Amino acid sequence: MAATLVLIEHDRQQVKRPSLHAITLARQLGGEYALLVLGHGLDAIAASLVSCGASAVIVADDAALAEPLADRYAAVIAQAAQKYGAKTLIGSSSTFSKDILPRAAALLDAPMVTDVLALEEVNGERAYRRPTSAGSMLATVKIEGDRCVLTARATAFEAPAADAAPCPIERFDFDPASLPNGMQFISREQRASDRPDLTEARVVVSGGRPLQDPETFERLVGGLADALGGAVGATRAAVDAGMAPNDYQVGQTGKVVAPELYIAMGISGAIQHLAGIKDSRIIVAINKDPDAPIFQMATYGLVGDLHQLVPQLIEAVRRG
Amino acid sequence: MDFSWSDQQRELLDAVDRFAKEQLAYDMIENDRHAVFNHDAWMKCAGFGIHGLLVSEEYGGLGQDPITTVAALERLGYGCKDNGLLFSINAHMWTAIIPLVYNGSEAQKKKFLPGLCDGSIIGGNAMSEPNSGSDAFSLATTAVKKGDKYILNGSKIFVTNGPIADVLLVFAVTDKSKGASGLSAFLVEKDSPGLDLTHKIEKMGVRTSPMGEVFFTDCEVPAENLLGKEGAGSWLFTRSMTWERGCILAASVGTMQRLFETCIRYANERKQGGQAIGKFQQVAGKIVDMKMRIENSRHMLYQCAWAAGHRKAIYLEAAMAKLQISESWVKCCEDAIQIHGGYGYMVEYEVERELRDAIGSKLYSGTSEIQRNIIASLIGL
Amino acid sequence: MKIVVPFKSVPDPYAGPGAAAKSVVNPFDEIAIEEALRIRERGEATEIVGVTIGPATVDEQIRSALAMGVDRALRIDDSRALDPYAVARILRALVAKEAPQLVLMGKQAVDDDSNQVGQMLAGLLGWPQATFISKIEFLENKTRAQCTRETDGGLEVIVVNLPAIVTTDLRLNEPRYVSLPGLMKARKKPIEVLTCEQLGVTVQPLTTTLSTARPPKRAAGTRVESVEELMVKLKQEAKVL
Repeated sequence: MAATLVLIEHDRQQVKRPSLHAITLARQLGGEYALLVLGHGLDAIAASLVSCGASAVIVADDAALAEPLADRYAAVIAQAAQKYGAKTLIGSSSTFSKDILPRAAALLDAPMVTDVLALEEVNGERAYRRPTSAGSMLATVKIEGDRCVLTARATAFEAPAADAAPCPIERFDFDPASLPNGMQFISREQRASDRPDLTEARVVVSGGRPLQDPETFERLVGGLADALGGAVGATRAAVDAGMAPNDYQVGQTGKVVAPELYIAMGISGAIQHLAGIKDSRIIVAINKDPDAPIFQMATYGLVGDLHQLVPQLIEAVRRG
Repeated sequence: MDFSWSDQQRELLDAVDRFAKEQLAYDMIENDRHAVFNHDAWMKCAGFGIHGLLVSEEYGGLGQDPITTVAALERLGYGCKDNGLLFSINAHMWTAIIPLVYNGSEAQKKKFLPGLCDGSIIGGNAMSEPNSGSDAFSLATTAVKKGDKYILNGSKIFVTNGPIADVLLVFAVTDKSKGASGLSAFLVEKDSPGLDLTHKIEKMGVRTSPMGEVFFTDCEVPAENLLGKEGAGSWLFTRSMTWERGCILAASVGTMQRLFETCIRYANERKQGGQAIGKFQQVAGKIVDMKMRIENSRHMLYQCAWAAGHRKAIYLEAAMAKLQISESWVKCCEDAIQIHGGYGYMVEYEVERELRDAIGSKLYSGTSEIQRNIIASLIGL
Repeated sequence: MKIVVPFKSVPDPYAGPGAAAKSVVNPFDEIAIEEALRIRERGEATEIVGVTIGPATVDEQIRSALAMGVDRALRIDDSRALDPYAVARILRALVAKEAPQLVLMGKQAVDDDSNQVGQMLAGLLGWPQATFISKIEFLENKTRAQCTRETDGGLEVIVVNLPAIVTTDLRLNEPRYVSLPGLMKARKKPIEVLTCEQLGVTVQPLTTTLSTARPPKRAAGTRVESVEELMVKLKQEAKVL
């Protein structure tokens, strides 16, 4: 039995680090928690999770789960939650969790709170703080009943220590033949990149529409990111203009990042973009327009032409 | 006269407001400098329903009455800074579509109106000639019937939309002996043999509206493209010109309103000697006069459109509206520059362009002097 | 094929600060409506039914949907502050009544940002789902749909059996502009009003928003004049390099 199940995400090779941050929310909730991993060929991944302070690592390992198809995954997660008597199901805010967990919530007849930022207590009752309206508002939300599904904003919770005594790995048995079969995986875009993942990087360099074309974007944004060992992000406008792939998008509907250093180049600062960066420790904005809204939240603002300033900056960083 | 809007009119006008603000707010400085006609915006306006506002639904329009139409154009002028585009649209609506709506045969309407409404056909009107301007009926362009065709010879000048037109309403002399009653109107399509539309004219304002000279050299026009009867040209011209006068500056009322609001903002922000310049009587007075001119213009526009919608003769109303709006527009622009000071004279502030765009309104569709002549004759002088 | 498009009325997210909060169709739902229209225009759908939940004040957004080209619209009259799970349960009843082959909807509402309803509805109905899509094509005589999904790791392609729930991401299409002819036609289209009782559903929202607050503003920092000065600040003051 475990009060809480934390869904762990992986890319078949290794655990996705931001998904571990959901464990911190589970700890704050109190009570025992178990980690739940779904997939196929999970031995190494399961083994990497035993020191996270969970009561168990529950592994649903089957060829039928080789790809994260929502109908099957939600069904297995709901079965596991029922079997282990878990009242709370947590994942980190990612497209993986957002695809699967609401479906699991419906199967469990449980309400759900997306993008939890913090726990609160209101009149002695538990409540959850979450952002709404592209982060321009913070709502405090209460849940009726004892069951719920949560996703945790990874940037709002620390990575948990992984120094606990190893916990058991338990195999979760289910009948693959009973799973829904209405969805079929076809392909996934594979892009090799030596750069760190956007949501995990210590430094993120992002570009907006003034970068003009994919070549300039790569030369200036990519160039600076590489000099700093950082990840590359982009605004919706830059993505829409074909300068960067869609999964580089940072903001309300893209990724939320909170690196040590965020450098915004040619980004005016639409609220939808700012929603995704405002928890960064240091924000540097470089923009031609001195009135760009981004300057109102940047730690350091530099007004000027990207095409001149960024090569200088790359050079300065390389010199050290 | 009741100028309060019904719920349906309000919904339509609000939609035009939003459309202009969201779809037509493009940068104008470069387009003006290089005299670029924004065909994309033209198609957006047509697709949105502007071109066909007055045309009945069976020919692809919206079947709106004149007052709703001018109010919609006013909203368009408020939201869209491209006075050239607006001028092209107005020329298209009032000088090509209106004559077809009122005088076209069923076949002509079926052939041209749907395309004129959806924007795929650009229309214009060719009346003025190098030696015939305000004296509109002293035309030299001739049309001679030969079998099932008319053969046109001559030239036209100041043809709005000429270089981009798909069909032009051309006025030509079919019987010189009959004077004004010897004029006829033809729908000349751009691929007619002997037609040359390629001569662009560069102008001071509304530069994004293409204007050209048009040459006819044994230009062949099928007889079925005669609009109305032979000899009906001058009546038809007068009728269409009355509509044109009364309504072509509808968008300018919106333009003035926008300029007026810009001036208020500027006068409240700009400080001299420690106070906002709007507190200076001379500046405030200019803006108050602007307000008076705009309200007078709007009222005359609506009055004219209301009368047209109630099938009343609008010769007087149209000439008065034209005179009032054009002169108000130019004066508003001058004052706006004066209020903005040196900045107003700079291209970047986009006020000087408004003046250049406005000045032509005192010339086209009858000069201010002609409007005064018309008004004088109609009030018994 | 019949398509049901549930949509939500939200405060205009692009209204400037201080502007009166006008309501609009949730932008993601607008993308769903547009896609449904395109599917119908390709001849792959015969009817598009728009559905929303709310009081009569949302009729204006319903008319926007009708003006875009939705064939008919339903409003489920309920003015309570519903949570996504309640909305999903109401929509389940509606979908059972309408029996579409496809439910297309936005991946999230831009006011609430929950991103739950489509997935919950799919779970309740036991239908396949394709979330966050940027492309959809029908296969095998419209018995299946191939969808490209935008995920954190890049694009993913899946095939779902129909009927299915599909939720739209930003790059699926650019919604058309509501034209005046569309607006005029919309006036003639019916808006059917239903109550939860008529649909036979009783739901109570299980989440309640107790309060909302503006997040603390990030203080504006300092302007630097040159790359050199920026480097000094990053190294010595911020200590990030």
